[in-house]
Amino acid sequence: MQRTLEDFYHAVRAAGVPVPPSGSIAASRAVALVGYRERDLLKYALSMNLANSRHEQELVETCFDDFFRFETFGSTEAASGGEDAANDGPEAAPEVRPPRPDGDTTPDYQGDLPLAQMLMQRDRSALARAMQEAARDAGLTDIWFFTQKSLYTQQILQRMGMRELQEEIRGLAQGDCPTRIATAGALREAKDWLYEEVRDFVERQLGIYGKTAVQDLRERHLQKTRLSNIEQRDFHTMHQLVRKMARRLSTLYSRKRKRTDRGQLDFARTLRSNVAYGGVLFDTHWKQRHIDRPRVLVLCDVSGSVQAYSRFLLLFLHSLNDVLARIDSYVFTSGLAPVNAIFDRYPVAEAIDLIMAEHGFGGSDYGGMLLDLERECLAAIDHRTTVLILGDARNNQLDPRSHILQQVHQRAKRVLWLNPEPESFWNTGDSVMRNYRPYCHLARTCNTLEHLERLLDDLLKAATAS
Amino acid sequence: MRRKFATDFRPEQPTSAQHQRNPGVSDARRGEPVLGYNLRLRRDPPGAAPETGWPMKELRETHFSSIAEVASAFERQGYICDERIATCVYLAHNLEKPVLVEGPAGVGKTELAKTCATLLDVPLVRLQCYEGLDESKALYEWKYAKQLLYTQLLKDKLGELLDGAQGLRASMDKIHAHEDLFYSEHFLEPRPLYRALHEPGGCVLLIDEIDKSDQEFEAFLLEVLSDFQVSIPELGTIAARVKPMVFLTSNNSRELGDALKRRCLHLHIPYPDAALERRILATRVPELDARLRRQIAAFVEQLRVLDLKKVPSISETIDWARTLLLLHATELEPAMVRNTLNTLLKFETDIEAAGEQLRGFVDKARQAAAGG
Repeated sequence: MQRTLEDFYHAVRAAGVPVPPSGSIAASRAVALVGYRERDLLKYALSMNLANSRHEQELVETCFDDFFRFETFGSTEAASGGEDAANDGPEAAPEVRPPRPDGDTTPDYQGDLPLAQMLMQRDRSALARAMQEAARDAGLTDIWFFTQKSLYTQQILQRMGMRELQEEIRGLAQGDCPTRIATAGALREAKDWLYEEVRDFVERQLGIYGKTAVQDLRERHLQKTRLSNIEQRDFHTMHQLVRKMARRLSTLYSRKRKRTDRGQLDFARTLRSNVAYGGVLFDTHWKQRHIDRPRVLVLCDVSGSVQAYSRFLLLFLHSLNDVLARIDSYVFTSGLAPVNAIFDRYPVAEAIDLIMAEHGFGGSDYGGMLLDLERECLAAIDHRTTVLILGDARNNQLDPRSHILQQVHQRAKRVLWLNPEPESFWNTGDSVMRNYRPYCHLARTCNTLEHLERLLDDLLKAATAS
Repeated sequence: MRRKFATDFRPEQPTSAQHQRNPGVSDARRGEPVLGYNLRLRRDPPGAAPETGWPMKELRETHFSSIAEVASAFERQGYICDERIATCVYLAHNLEKPVLVEGPAGVGKTELAKTCATLLDVPLVRLQCYEGLDESKALYEWKYAKQLLYTQLLKDKLGELLDGAQGLRASMDKIHAHEDLFYSEHFLEPRPLYRALHEPGGCVLLIDEIDKSDQEFEAFLLEVLSDFQVSIPELGTIAARVKPMVFLTSNNSRELGDALKRRCLHLHIPYPDAALERRILATRVPELDARLRRQIAAFVEQLRVLDLKKVPSISETIDWARTLLLLHATELEPAMVRNTLNTLLKFETDIEAAGEQLRGFVDKARQAAAGG
């Protein structure tokens, strides 16, 4: 049974719940206490030990139901009641394909090949057991991709004795004896049925063990794809991915605190560190600590060429709202438009769609945008603000007005420029990156989700470093 | 033989003085723990759990022999629990693992720990978490004022101590020959965690609303939860006399660390369904008429489906049932429900939202009660 439990932990891991060795040890101990008799209790005991949140609890319990489903042959077609039900019930007749000997036409098998005997006697439980064992030998729990299906099916069949069965059939079919030929025919039919059963079984197991492998691969791929190449149908996955990355960053940075040097005196601490000075309160300690959250002013170009990048930057930033004190979002093509109100009113993903629909047209004019910035929010930029600009700096031969960016640079804590183009393309054609670059603390290529994550990681690190 | 074994190994007999040192642990039960435990030892069933190396632990293991027994014992204490909760308590008790209880406010997370303490007949030590809670408030604190006072008082004794010593080195040697009196248990102010570890007969430790505490405190708890010991720099490592049964509750106001979660059994208590709620009401407010009870449960169940700011949980249902009992209600009346709705719903907007559909809800609840 320990083997089965180990397989179950494997399946739980594949379902996306990380189970450390300590977790599986604890779960096994719990199972030893609870016993196997009551299914529900076993399920609760396992989920309590393996899951760490309500979401994981649901995953584990679904996995339990899938995994400990009563595996019988033909269970998908007929009721899982076993051979009796399949024999008696007339409704099962067309689906259950193993040859049934109730008619006098069915020949008897007198050979001594175990697999053939099982097939002819329709011993479902023995077949199921043989299949499970063969699957274990073949290492079916390591199955990852659907392309491995036929490989594992073949391996399981070989281990169950398929080759011998084929030889037996060939042997029976030779010669003239009609009963032997009939037996061979019945066995051939049973063999096909067995093949399909095993393939179904492998497919079900793939569903259990290979679920997340494919997803992982896909996510890894999406992280490295240029954001402009991501298609609409992947947006949902991308949003989830962004949320996941944002959660990682926020857990990393949400708890960094700086000590203050004012407020309420931490008397005990102070006294403790001043015992050395004979109790004179010399070296003071204070109770308050504050979380230093960066304030971000983000300016996103939403003209056609950069729109896709802006979408994900905004999405990422707004998923980080518990570690950022304040996000002022503006989008621009030629003029600056505040979009905070939209973010306040709608959920993030929906808000972004609205913004893109409303503002995302026309060629960009960085000079015009900077003029608006100077007029509207230069006063609000101070030494705590990080200014984040996303754009390709392709100004359509207009005046770049970089002196405004210079002012911003002087006032702000940091100015970061994210350019979706690779650095070798900067300053080519109508790009005016060379005019802006001196006034940025950091200018970087940013065209995949990975770049975005790295950049925001930097931003938070710089902001919380004391 | 066995009994002697157990008592011999008990590190310290609880004395009344010791109890007085722990004023926070409120209980009349504390008077007789030694007797109680020894009696229980004799009831040791033949199939008791294997030796755990710590003889006192055996005493605790005699309590629950099966999950069903846990459930019925809880019910006798007036706490109706489903199979999941019973399994969890059974496992926590036998595996000596802490339980992390999650769920909306008022579904009985804290009550679970309290009931457990009553049932096991051990004191409940409660640690309420809040932002800024640190180890000096949770574990121990030195009595600085007392230390300072004693240094002043004992100044002249120093002369006697150093009598005859020549030079600085000899004086230091003389002082070192005495143990470090100022950092001993006499100057230690025990806080809940320390008390829980020192409780001679074991206890139920309730760490309430752990999600309100800081990250640092959470990390500090790890040692307590996995090894049931704490390190005090001046005294060394202090291990639990009897491993306490630990419950942590969380409302999920922030995500807890994985390290903490991994050390705990995870239990989520959701809102109960109508049937379970009826049973809870029957034990908590037994004077209530059966028909009214059914109506209340059906009514509250309908409320929970609404989009409310604060969905009523079990504690509010019980409060409401008591209110209705006080008003001598025999049946739900729209007018009375409207007037008492504020015990069930805590926000004005919620009351307004529910108010629109009140009559329909009351009718449906009556029908459901009549039908069931």
